Amino acid sequence: MKVPIRMLGIATFIFWVILAAFIASAAYSIKDLSFGFGAPQFTAAPNHELLFSLPLHIDNRGYYSLKAFNITTVFSDVEGAEISRASTFVPVIPHGENVTIFHNVTLSMDSLLEKVEQYLLNDNNLTVSVTAGLNFAELIPVQLSTNITYPWGAPFYNFMLEQPLYDLFNSTHGRATVPLSFENHAAFDFAGNIRVELYDSENSLLGESHAAFSVLRYSRYAGNLEFYVPLSIAPFLTARNGYLKVFFSTSLFEYGPLVIPYG
Amino acid sequence: MVEAKKNSRSKVKGVAFRVVKATVKAVLIYLLYFFLAPLLAPIFELVPGFMGTIETFVVVFIVLMVLGDLAAHTIFQYFLGMAMSLFVIAYLILSLGDGIISVSFENFTLTVNLTMFYTITVLLSLLGLARSVLQAINFMNERAESSIQP
Repeated sequence: MKVPIRMLGIATFIFWVILAAFIASAAYSIKDLSFGFGAPQFTAAPNHELLFSLPLHIDNRGYYSLKAFNITTVFSDVEGAEISRASTFVPVIPHGENVTIFHNVTLSMDSLLEKVEQYLLNDNNLTVSVTAGLNFAELIPVQLSTNITYPWGAPFYNFMLEQPLYDLFNSTHGRATVPLSFENHAAFDFAGNIRVELYDSENSLLGESHAAFSVLRYSRYAGNLEFYVPLSIAPFLTARNGYLKVFFSTSLFEYGPLVIPYG
Repeated sequence: MVEAKKNSRSKVKGVAFRVVKATVKAVLIYLLYFFLAPLLAPIFELVPGFMGTIETFVVVFIVLMVLGDLAAHTIFQYFLGMAMSLFVIAYLILSLGDGIISVSFENFTLTVNLTMFYTITVLLSLLGLARSVLQAINFMNERAESSIQP
């Protein structure tokens, strides 16, 4: 009986040594792991979608490969409703390698604007729930989760159509000039067209005008809309109040009408 | 008279040897802990108060091991061996619970699933417990055999 007991003792000891060596080397590997984020990029995708791309740099200088790396992001609006969900999965990050992963999230502008018109005109906060997990040293699953508030910059922030200025254009037409301005607080450049219909207080359409624009991120746009109205429309020169119907058309979204009263 | 003197001298020698052996083993285990602790620090830092419990674990482990060595060649050696294995299992159950550690820091939550590691450690401790039980049975068996011999 002595020999089997001794063998059992030796085997147990060897297993303990292996386990201790594994724990020590795994713990030591943690300090040689580094994670970093690059600058997020926004690009317009087809079908009125905005592609948010976040580069992730993983430098695995530890002794073990990282397996089943996955990152999931869920964008929610102020009311907590889910706007977008995306996942990125990398089966293996071998040890000694420096890897850059692009985590892509597609935001549908149409669905975003359907829910809250405010996203177009006012800055807002989106909630981003991030969950990242991996299998460390092939034996220890690790997961990190956090909630981040993502500041959403409105593409038409402070959108203003000022009081129309009237003058006579020629003997048959009058002209109404409406100054237009807004600030692009969004993190992306965009271009498009704004169509505006001018109505008087009697709901009569006086004229229609278009403004094509191209605006860089975090910059201001200012221009004028000109409406040419036949003088045969009696109330034109006397119309001092009414409303403007605004229709937005860009590569990212279509939205309208937005009704803005004047006078 | 001379025989009795010889016996007592060898007993003193035996006790001294056991004390030296226990001291050397305790020092070696402590040195192992001393050098491993900084390596494991990145993990320990994640769980507040974990370092304190590890120190308690090492102290109790060394005390049981020293007592086991001092009680060598008696049945108590094996009882202390069993106690040590049971202590390791109890410590793991109490400190790790279901094997999933969740730590929150500001807005971040880190979850580490140590179930595999936990299972392996408990199984190894059970193996140690089984060994101590077998050693105790073997010890009693040998004693019984020696008392039966003419």
